[in-house]
Parts: sequence; structure tokens; C-alpha cells
Amino acid sequence: MTTEKSKLKSILPGKDVTRRGFLKGAAATAGVAIGSGAITGFPTIWAQNIKNVTLRQFGTGVSNINAVADKVKEDLGFTLQMTALDSDAVAQRAVTQPNSFDIADIEYWICKKVFPAGTLQPMDVAKIKNYDKISPLFITGKLTPDSKIAQGTAPHKVGFVEGPDSTDFASAPTQWMTLIPTIYNADTLGIRPDLIGRPINSWAELLNPEFKGKASILNIPAIGIMDAAMVSEAMGEITYGDKGNMTQEEINKTIALMIEAKRAGQFRAFWKSFDESVNLMASGEVVIQSMWSPAIAAVRSKGIECKYQPLKEGYRAWGGGIGLAKHLSGLELEAAYEYINWYLSGWVGAYLNRQGYYSAAPATAQKFMSDDEWGYWMEGKEAQGDIMSPEGKVMEKAGAVRDGGSYEERMGHVACWNSVMDENKHMVRKWNEFIAA
Amino acid sequence: MSAPNSKRGSYFLITPMALVFAIFLVIPLLTIVVVSFWDYDEYRILPDFIFENYSYLLGSSVTWQIYLNTFKYAALTWAFTLGIGFTVAYFLAFHVRSLTWQIILFMVCTIPFWTSNIIRMISWIPFLGRNGLLNQALMGTGIIHEPLEFLLFSDFAVVLADVHLYTLFMVVPIFNSMMRIDRSLIEAARDNGASGWATLRHIIVPLSKPGIAIGSIFVITVVMGDFITVRLMSGGQSASVGLQISNEIGLLQYPAAAASAVVLLITVLLIVTALLRLVDIRKEL
Amino acid sequence: MVRTREKRPTAFYILAAFFALFVLFLYGPMLTIFILSFQGENGGLTFPMNGFSFHWFVNLFQQQAVGDFGGSFLRSLKLGAIVMVVTVVVSFMAGLAFRRRFRGDTFVFYLAIASLIVPSILISLGIGLLFNIFQIQPHWYSSGLGAHLTWTFPFGLLIMFAVFNRFDPSFEEAARDLGASNWQTIRHVVLPMVAPSLIGVAMFSFTLSYDEFARTLMTAGSLNTLPLEIYGMTTNVTTPVLYALGTLTTVFSFVIIGLAFGAVLLLRRRKAIG
Repeated sequence: MTTEKSKLKSILPGKDVTRRGFLKGAAATAGVAIGSGAITGFPTIWAQNIKNVTLRQFGTGVSNINAVADKVKEDLGFTLQMTALDSDAVAQRAVTQPNSFDIADIEYWICKKVFPAGTLQPMDVAKIKNYDKISPLFITGKLTPDSKIAQGTAPHKVGFVEGPDSTDFASAPTQWMTLIPTIYNADTLGIRPDLIGRPINSWAELLNPEFKGKASILNIPAIGIMDAAMVSEAMGEITYGDKGNMTQEEINKTIALMIEAKRAGQFRAFWKSFDESVNLMASGEVVIQSMWSPAIAAVRSKGIECKYQPLKEGYRAWGGGIGLAKHLSGLELEAAYEYINWYLSGWVGAYLNRQGYYSAAPATAQKFMSDDEWGYWMEGKEAQGDIMSPEGKVMEKAGAVRDGGSYEERMGHVACWNSVMDENKHMVRKWNEFIAA
Repeated sequence: MSAPNSKRGSYFLITPMALVFAIFLVIPLLTIVVVSFWDYDEYRILPDFIFENYSYLLGSSVTWQIYLNTFKYAALTWAFTLGIGFTVAYFLAFHVRSLTWQIILFMVCTIPFWTSNIIRMISWIPFLGRNGLLNQALMGTGIIHEPLEFLLFSDFAVVLADVHLYTLFMVVPIFNSMMRIDRSLIEAARDNGASGWATLRHIIVPLSKPGIAIGSIFVITVVMGDFITVRLMSGGQSASVGLQISNEIGLLQYPAAAASAVVLLITVLLIVTALLRLVDIRKEL
Repeated sequence: MVRTREKRPTAFYILAAFFALFVLFLYGPMLTIFILSFQGENGGLTFPMNGFSFHWFVNLFQQQAVGDFGGSFLRSLKLGAIVMVVTVVVSFMAGLAFRRRFRGDTFVFYLAIASLIVPSILISLGIGLLFNIFQIQPHWYSSGLGAHLTWTFPFGLLIMFAVFNRFDPSFEEAARDLGASNWQTIRHVVLPMVAPSLIGVAMFSFTLSYDEFARTLMTAGSLNTLPLEIYGMTTNVTTPVLYALGTLTTVFSFVIIGLAFGAVLLLRRRKAIG
């Protein structure tokens, strides 16, 4: 059984890489390519062995990008096998199938649920070369020393545990990190300015009857409830103690408000993955909805106007990171650390920045971006030339300015982080009532 | 090898199938029943013996609403697939005269079934959307001036997709039953002056009942447990029992999902038992 | 088969029109994705068309941003083939077994019916939970295969019932009278006679497996089958590459059906000659 499994592990992705290599015109013949992948950078003593290592990573489609796996093969020599799932499935697999993965790419709010299950092992920050370059958002929770910590499951709250075998989250940074941040962003509402035709500046607009039958909200309870709370608060209907950890009463009131809107026909559809939101927006089914940044870019790339509208109440932020499976040890564990160090070394960061997300260690990503790219994505400056997507398609023409401005302006105005509440069970039940209503 | 004609032979021959059913049907269903009494927190299932899952499920007005909604989908889909399926089967069985043509026309109905259900489902979206083909055509001809919104992300869309996907399941068994009706019966009826309508009513429909029952069992059970059609075609706005279970699975609430599953299983078994009273499947094949 | 040519009744034309509408209903929406799969490079998932190109067909064979279409397609083919072979063999054996009564036959029969009517998501959940509790790793070729078999066996068995209910045992008796052993009788008499139906079982089980989604959902382990991949794509893909996939798989189905249909015709002819 074990040999069967390892055979499968090494055969399937191997074939795949060959095909990809062939298509790119890089590798000459099919047979040779598997064994002779050029190993550049990160030379190590065990480079010969590491080629045979396959790490299985799963996560949401957001960051589980095949280009990363290819680059890993190229730079590090081992195989990274990616499986993309939705957020719920990710959490489920991380908890219930601990042996089905080596690296889990999960979100921080899920981490709060997942890590205590004991299927992940914390990482030793001493082994992470660029630890000091990681954005302070993930270490202290403050972007600048005087920023206010936002509500919700701010990543730093679940970023560390007490010790190598602990599953208790530490209140201050320790040597043991749960997840290495990979990707994060500040979310707001996306709108179709061409179909709305007036300025939008508050979350309250989502339930404005003007957009009856043309609004959408995402149907991932833990995140959707947050957007709903931003809306309810902006409408002045409910005031929350902590939107990231509501009381039963706050939840009930929020859901009641949403059900009322749903019954009145406010929503056209609900979406679960960011691409669905793209399709809803691009087809004109929806003109205002909760949305994620690259979704906006995807709509725009079809030549359709779409704006990631900054709102006066602030952003709802989220972040993801990679964690190591408990069962990893020896060579595989070394390879995993190698991968993490590589992840933070800039190439991926630049790739993610170009998608409109933010990367964990901005300083290292800068080295892999042009000044113009850096200016557009991170500093809120006007683009000097065309801004290209990682795939090499034009995303924005020269002269464009990023919605919401610079990194500090956007990440500095986070009102709330995605989170798991103490009343999670109650919240999910109420949310299901909303969906069923 | 033991002789297939002995009883021992029969046991030998049935063992592989029985084993698969035992391991992948019976034991998993028992597991569901057991787990439905377990407790859970955000990320784990905890072995226990509690009735909380059931008491919440049965006490919640949402459950009843969801069941009502699911029954509505099942009833509508059943009515439409039966009407369309019966007509199509009747046409194929009694009006198409050569076997070759029957096979060819039958194949024509079957081929779409070979394309992924999900793809067939989403193929409705560009057709029915606000700016979809149908709305554009209707607006282009001046029949309507505003796009029809109920076409997509609505109950209408769900039932339409269900009918689209499952009518074939009605056609096949009804066609099968009809092909077994002795043609001389029909000729006798006609010779005795029965109208085509009377023949249909008094001979064909009663004799097609087994096929109708089998098709109905199939369509109803599939729709009762469906979650993808409802999710994709209602734009996530409607709920069905299957979708509720799938959501609970997604949220790691396995015991809650298991309790819902047990209730659904009992419901489906009750419906099927009622339908099986109408037909002895084993004889009718 | 000789039939007298009589004038078609009006009902025929009405029904034929109805049938034509039904076919249109079946194929109409597929036509939309067929057209949309030729979207231009910047085209979206919905109308209007944004140019015309083969871009998405080419794109289909290139690496996607996420997911692995080729791998899941191969996996589904393999799984379908395994399910097909197992279903044909096991259903045939079970069909033979059911020709005489044995203790528990009704029970097994109702198990098969239950397997057919239990909502697929329950099978998925049950097997998923079972493997979970016992800490067994689900894989498409273990738990996935089992889940698929619970779906194909009932169909296989029902078809075998239909076949053996109409089977004339006098051929076997004749063979036995001529001194054939049980095995020889099955091999040389029964098997050739039921072969076309077995091809039917094979086709059916392959299709059912190839297209199975709900039962695979929690049982496939870490690698996706094609329907799971497509489902993932409906939420992960914003380009018409999805439609290109739909068009291609439909064409693929046409080819398979054509081949199977050809095989049945060939068998018939050989039987007619022999």
C-alpha cells in the first residue's frame, strides 16, 4: 500500500510536469525531463534526494496556482502537487484527512478552527530566513506602531502557539508560528459604475432598494456574516461590540435584517467562490456585491467597467498562510522549510502582488517587480506603462490608479478581519435560515 | 469452481455483489445513523449519544421550510418528467414503426446524457440570464421590453434544469413497459371500436404503470437528494434537503449532516415503499 | 419484419412535433455552450460573443491557472474502465445467481434497490465518515471505486434480470444434453447470447461512473475526478474554457457511442451469420 501510494505520488505529477515542460518548449524529450529538471538556486547537499520528494499542497484556488508549482520544480527541484478546493473543503480536509496533505494552504480564520485539531505542526521561526521581513500585521497586528488592531480574527492572534507541540495560541509572538502568511487583502464592495451611475461610499448601499434584484453577497457563512455586519452597522441598524465575535442577539438581528432584504428580492444570487462573483458581475446579473480584488481585475480584463469601491466604514480583511502537516518529518520536512523560505523570498510575492493581493514579505517581493509595478500596486501611484497580469495580459492601461490607493491606505483601514465566532454554531444555523428563507 | 446450478453456486456468484453492498452501502449508512447521535464542535466530531442534532433539526422552522421546498421541486419535476416522458415513450413505442428508427431516435435522446450533468446544467445560464439568448430574442422581437428576471436563479430555473436532466429516466422504463404490451390487445381494442384515446386510457396507461412507477421512483429520489442543481440554478438562493446536508458537510458539522441524512433517508424510503406497492419490480423487468 | 404501410394518423404528426421539441429542449442549451466555446480571447462565460476563435480549445490543453484537467480526465477514464469491468463481471455472476432462489435473495435484491434510491450524497457522507473514523485514507481507486459500484451494480443487476427473465433455458438444456459442463454451457451458450446486454451494462456503468459527482465528492481522496474538476471549474473558472471542455466531452461521447453502437451491430451481424 505504501509503495503503491508513493509510486502514484511520484508518477502522476511527474507526467504532468513533463507535459507542461513540453508545451513550454523547455524540455526536449518526454523521458528525460522528469529526472533532469535543472536545479537552480538553493543548492543543498541533499539536492539529489530532494528531487524525489513530492509535497502535496491543497488550498483555495486563490493561491494554489500551478505557476507556483512549476517554479518550485524549477528553483527547488522537488514536486509540489496542488489541489484546489473551496474554503469549507479546505478546513474539512485539514482536520479530517491529516494524511492526505503535506502542506495546507488555509486562511487564518479557518486556522483558528483547524490548528487546535492537532493536524498541523508549528514552524520554527529560527529556520525561516525572511522572518524579519514578514509584514508586522502578522506579527503584532499593527501595520504601523500606532495603528489600531482591527476587530475579528486578526492573523497575529492565531499566528503563534506556545511551543512545538502546543495547540494553544500564544498572546504574543513566540518561536513557533502556526502559519506562514502567504496572501492577504482588504475586501470591500465591487460595483459596476457604468450601470449604477452615481458615487457609492457606504456598505449600506448593498441593501439599497435601488439595486433590488441586482445585489449579491457571498455565501460563506463566516465571511458573509461579516459583510452583513458591515452593512447593518453602516445602515445604523445594529451596533456591534465586536463584529468578529458577535453575541447571539447580534447575530439574530443581523440575519433578520438580511432575511427581510432577501424576501424583498434584493439579491440576485449568492456566490461561493470568487470566480462566480466575476461571472455575476460580468454578465450584468449583479451591479453591487461583496467581491475580492482579483475578481474585479478579471471583470475589467473583459473590457467591462468595474470598481473596487473604497467605503467610509473601512475594509473587511482576510489572510491566508501555509501550514505544515503534523506527519511531516525528515527530508520532507526539510523540503517544506525550503519551500517556505523560497515562498517568502520574493518571486511568489511579486506574482501575488500582480494579482492584486498582498504578499507576506513585501520587501522581498519588491525585488521581483518593476518600479512601475510597485508604484501601481503598492504605492497607489499612477501607472506609467501598461500593467500586466502575471500571465502577461494587459490588466490596466497606463494612467490607471489602483482603487483604494496604496498598501498603507488599504491595509491601514481594516475595520474587521474574517473570523470564527464563539457562537459559530448558532451563527451557521442562522445563516442557513437566511439562505433557506 | 463450484457448479453454478447448485445453491452453493448461487452463494458463490452473489458474494462479490453482496460484499460491495455491505461495505459501501450498509456499513456507511449505519455509520451515518451512529454519527447522527454524536456531538461536534467547530472542527471535530465527538463520539457521544445526544439527541440535540435531531431536536434542533426537527424543532427548526427552517427544516420544514426546506422540506416543503424540496417536495415542491420533486413534485413539479415529477409531473413534468412524467408528462413529457410518457408522451415521448408513447411516440417511440407506438408511432415509430421500425426497430432501427426506434433505436436511432432513442440514441438521439440518450446522447446528451453522456455530457457531464454539470455542464448541461450550466449551459442554461447563458441562455436564461438577464442578458441571455432568450431575453435578447424576446426583447428583439418586441414581445417584452424588460428582461425577464425569473428565468434564471429562481425556482423556475431549478425545475427546468431538473426536467432537462432527468426526463430520460422516465422515458426509459415507460418505453420498456410499453414495448412489452401485447400489440394484439391494442388491435383487439381498435377492432371493437375503441377510439385511440380510449385505448390509451384503458390499455396503455394501466399496462405502462410499472414503468411509470420505476421512473417515478428514480426521478423523485434523485430530486429529493439533489444539491448541485439547486445550488447552481437558484444562484445559491434556495435550499433543498440535499443542499442543507452538503452545506453542513462543508461546514464540518458531520453529526448535524448525519441527522439530516437520516431524516431524508426515512422520507425517501417512505415514498419509495408507497410507490413499490404499485409495482413488483422484480417481476416487471 | 414486414409491416403494412398505412396512412399515418394525425396523432403521429402531433407527437412527432412534440418529440422534435423535446429533442430541441435536450440539445438547445448545449448549443449555447457549443457556440460560446468559440468565444474570442477576451470573451466571457455569457453572451455577447467577443470575437470568434479556437483559443479556448487550445487553452484547454495548456496549463490552467488552477486545477489539472488532463489528470482528472485520465483518472475518470481509468476509474470508469475499472468500474465497467467489475460491474459487467459481478452483475453477470449475480444475474446467474438470481436465476434460482436462494436464502437471502430478496434481501440482496432490496439492497440493490436501496443502493439505487439512497440519495447519492448519503453514500458519499457515509463512506467519507467511515473512512474518517477508521483513519483510512480515501482514494479514487478505493473508496471512490466502492461508491461508484453502489451506483452501477443496481443498474447492472436490473439489466441482467431483464435479460434472464426472457432467457430461454432450452438452449442450455440442449447443451447439457450434449455433455457440456456447467462452465462450458456458460462460456459457449449463455455468454454469447447475453453478450449484447453485457455491452449495454458496460456502456451504462462506464457512463454512470464517468459522470458521477455526488458519490465521488467525499470519497475521491486528494485527487479529483473529471466531474469534481468540472464542478471546481464552475466556481474557479471565469473563461469559456469550461465550455470548450463541454463541447469536447460531448464530441468524445458521440465517438464512444458510435463505437459501441457499431460493436452491437457487428455482434448482431455475426450472430445472424453464425
